[in-house]
Amino acid sequence: MNEPLVQIAMTVDGAPLSARVRPRYLLSDFLRERAGAPGVHVACGHGVCGACTIVVDGVAVRACLMLAVQADGATVQTIASLPVLEGTVTEGTGLTPLQQAFRDHHALQCGYCTPGLLVSSAKFLAAHRAPTRAQILDHLNGHLCRCSGYANIIAAIESVLQ
Amino acid sequence: MKPAAFRYTRPGSVVEAVDLLVTNGSAARLLAGGQSLMPMMVRRLERPSLIIDINRIAGLDAIEVLPTDIRMGALVRQEQALWSTVVRREVPGLAAALAWVANPVIRQRGTVVGNLATNGPAAELPAVALALGAKFIVRHADGEDILPAPALLGARERTLAHAMITHVLWPRRPAAAGFYEVARRDGHVPVVSSLVTLDGGDCRVALSGVCRNGLSCPSMARAIARRFPGLPAIAELADALRDDLTGPVYSDTYSSARYRLEVAPVVSQRAARLMTSRIGPV
Repeated sequence: MNEPLVQIAMTVDGAPLSARVRPRYLLSDFLRERAGAPGVHVACGHGVCGACTIVVDGVAVRACLMLAVQADGATVQTIASLPVLEGTVTEGTGLTPLQQAFRDHHALQCGYCTPGLLVSSAKFLAAHRAPTRAQILDHLNGHLCRCSGYANIIAAIESVLQ
Repeated sequence: MKPAAFRYTRPGSVVEAVDLLVTNGSAARLLAGGQSLMPMMVRRLERPSLIIDINRIAGLDAIEVLPTDIRMGALVRQEQALWSTVVRREVPGLAAALAWVANPVIRQRGTVVGNLATNGPAAELPAVALALGAKFIVRHADGEDILPAPALLGARERTLAHAMITHVLWPRRPAAAGFYEVARRDGHVPVVSSLVTLDGGDCRVALSGVCRNGLSCPSMARAIARRFPGLPAIAELADALRDDLTGPVYSDTYSSARYRLEVAPVVSQRAARLMTSRIGPV
């Protein structure tokens, strides 16, 4: 099939970017291969695991369920924008509060799911100042972690609330 | 996997989108939230040759209060509807069901209308739309129709090839609502889900995952209303369910028809318990 290329432009982690892409090019692949954002982790590739979660125009989305052409004109934030999403970093370590909490609570092992978890948790905590445990679990439903058993991830998120 | 090749268009108006649908027929698919369509395209279960991205059509993202209905445009996201105070007050059954759909990130992108149009056999919302008497505003080349939910969600799995659902209308009906489901994993498509709502003597029950399409269950609803504020026994609900079945019981690789029939009355009783616990003690 004839696949005409489409001209797109977007801002990725603060840097403007333009490219010509095939319509079927997934935003997740575009960010990794063409936008210098390898922190967008692709695991399942069809919206189940949450590893590729990013923020597009202020909303957390699965990068693998969006086409690159759909992000034309958008502001995209990946894990590299976490300090911006959380609005603060700890002096000395340079870690954000969520990163520090994940580290303190051993909330990761292999770390593949972590960028997506951190990005969507940052958005979740910005939207819910005092989430219930049920809300935290609903939020974590969107993320698969094969190493941690989730207990430490829940503990890390709850520690940031205190 | 990655999607097969397609052409991409981004119409600026409903008229333009409908023109594209008419010209391209069933080879074209509308893309709204993409949370069902994109996974199917990635696995190549869907191979449209034209994607019509409706996300930038203005005016389709509103939840409006009409005299008898709540009108939702095709770009109203599930999370937006879930947290809408209007929806919680006027269509509480929809809000109760939405809380069980996927997870917040998917719901922020996925639309209510898109979920209905996809009409998955076990999906929560098509059954809810049937039981609550939702209607669709459908735009085609010659104008606009208002179709009742069974016209789109009853017989077939996929909707119209040459027309676009621009809005869904939910009858305004403040009521008590309870929703429950069993799923193989929280946030996944349920095996069986049940919604129970009660407004005075008017009880509605919606079941998903039992027949090929969502089921409205007037018999089970009568059993629940009759026992209120108590609860009918599982066996009584199982008897009522047999009267409500409209076709063969659905099965898939993981859950047999027998299991679905056995679990549906249990799930419905739990939904009824959640509903009554919001009105008063059982």
